[in-house]
Amino acid sequence: MTTLLRPPVLGLAAVLMAAPAAAQSGPLAEKLALCAACHGEDGNSKMEKIPSLAGQPAFYVLNQLFLMREGVRKVEAMAAIVKDLKDQDLTDLSEHYAKLAPKRSDEPIDPELVKRGKELATQQRCASCHLPTLAGQEQMPRVARQRIDYLVPTLKSYRDHPRDGADTAMSQPVGGLHDADITALAHYAASL
Amino acid sequence: MSISTSYRRGFLFAGSLALVMAAGGPLAAQPGFSTMDKSNPANSKQDTNLKPIPTPPVAPSVDKLPLDKIKLPQGFKIEVWSSGHPGARTMVMGDKGTMFMGTRVIGRVYAITEKDGKREAKVLLQGLTQPNGLAFKDGSLYVFAINKVFRYDNIESKLDNPGTPVELTEAFGLPDTVHHNWKYVDFGPDGKLYVQVGANCNICEINPGVHGQIRRYNADGTGMEIVARGVRNTVGFDWHPVTKELWFTDNGRDWAGNGGPEDELNRVPKGQEGANFGFPYCHANGIPDPDVKRPNPCAGVQLPAALTGPHAAGLGIKFYTGDMFPKEYKNVAFIARHGSWNREKKFGYDVAIARTSGDKAKISPFLTGLLNEEKNEQYGRPSYVFQMKDGSLLVSDETNGAVYRISYGNPKTAGKQ
Repeated sequence: MTTLLRPPVLGLAAVLMAAPAAAQSGPLAEKLALCAACHGEDGNSKMEKIPSLAGQPAFYVLNQLFLMREGVRKVEAMAAIVKDLKDQDLTDLSEHYAKLAPKRSDEPIDPELVKRGKELATQQRCASCHLPTLAGQEQMPRVARQRIDYLVPTLKSYRDHPRDGADTAMSQPVGGLHDADITALAHYAASL
Repeated sequence: MSISTSYRRGFLFAGSLALVMAAGGPLAAQPGFSTMDKSNPANSKQDTNLKPIPTPPVAPSVDKLPLDKIKLPQGFKIEVWSSGHPGARTMVMGDKGTMFMGTRVIGRVYAITEKDGKREAKVLLQGLTQPNGLAFKDGSLYVFAINKVFRYDNIESKLDNPGTPVELTEAFGLPDTVHHNWKYVDFGPDGKLYVQVGANCNICEINPGVHGQIRRYNADGTGMEIVARGVRNTVGFDWHPVTKELWFTDNGRDWAGNGGPEDELNRVPKGQEGANFGFPYCHANGIPDPDVKRPNPCAGVQLPAALTGPHAAGLGIKFYTGDMFPKEYKNVAFIARHGSWNREKKFGYDVAIARTSGDKAKISPFLTGLLNEEKNEQYGRPSYVFQMKDGSLLVSDETNGAVYRISYGNPKTAGKQ
């Protein structure tokens, strides 16, 4: 499932080359330029399968960067980028993204799926951790306005296990969901 | 849209599934949880927004630790023993004095050593899936993560480069389901390695041949025997210094009310290895489960020696055998209560003591102050306890990534860094 989360190899190479040129000033700006190449200048990703970070709870981004740096959450494309980040960098980056405004991506959203997804979200009690707005809190990510093509493989990776080790709390709510349910949930979350 | 078409097919299928469920078919499940889980949060009358408490991956600096909030009985002192190692949980000590520390979500194992009078925590291993289970024997460190078992031989001479371990994952043959499956392990007085396998749900019918057990093995993973059954989620056990019987903490189910069922302190009576402790049918002092029912749910169940509080989350337990504390603490069990999440008014966040007498135990507070009941706020989560050679007691605090040292009496010993 991790392979699904990998951006095109060429894209990454371009990012790594473009990064120094895009640097504005200071070490944080340099890092942000690197992030922006995939996750969007304003933290809203325009790139397939790359998550938006705008409006994510700071704790969530900090935690995930940490888990990727330590190899608990394995995302190949991120490994080299997070490898040398210090705890303070993780904190600065997470605080930056928490302040940005989340926007919907330009993926087509199917209203019927949204309706079904809303029912499923109630059933699966997504709101009890992610809040009724699905804006997330603390270690729980914002899924509202997240990209559909990121949410679908992510939910599947919790269901089918590659990702559940880093976060055992998700193994139960997604257990037994059909692919179609997952798609519907993703459309609902993206529509908010 | 192909997505939409395939979805409609899925919806039809889901629709027919719903009919089966309505007819009481085998897949009937409470909404919101896996097909396995039988909890019904609506019936629990609890705030449905209760959620697990996160563990920060970054530890606060020493001056921000909640030491000034902690209260102890008269004559006891507390100080910071080590800090700056996020996710601090299990503690085992090597023969040469290295403290090994396990964690959960952050996936690290630390080695804490003393250098030039200062304690240093280094990341020994990382990237593991919840390596909470640590044991040390004959120079080797045993590391139990959810899906892996490793043995690092002669580890204390290789702290800078632990190298490739001996992998024992297959030999132990533990299930790789994640729910309640982070490990607690320890060598018993019989030389066997004791390992728990938690229930793979909050509340459900488990496969009793696999889940809800405490097992013991030879150190190489052979000779498995089941020591206790019907155990929901124990992540701490120890042996009574006199009777040598196994005592273990057990975390009660969630979403059945703020009042419990209460967590348990249990004892496996000598000669009754393999006894049944009731999960999922019978909880606490004989409370039938509201969701998973069967006739005579508590028949033949070994009831707890003591209740340890609603959602209190008793984790580590150690019987005190040292000489530093007053005599009345000899052979008393110290229990780190991690603190509740599935309860509107927080409970726990302390270290309690259990005075045992035969098959019963009496619980009373010891280390308190990390919970402000008025504000319903907590400042730290005691996870495990460890007795040092000098008789002082270490307590790990998972939230604050620190270890505190509790000492008694002689200020020279007590103040030693």
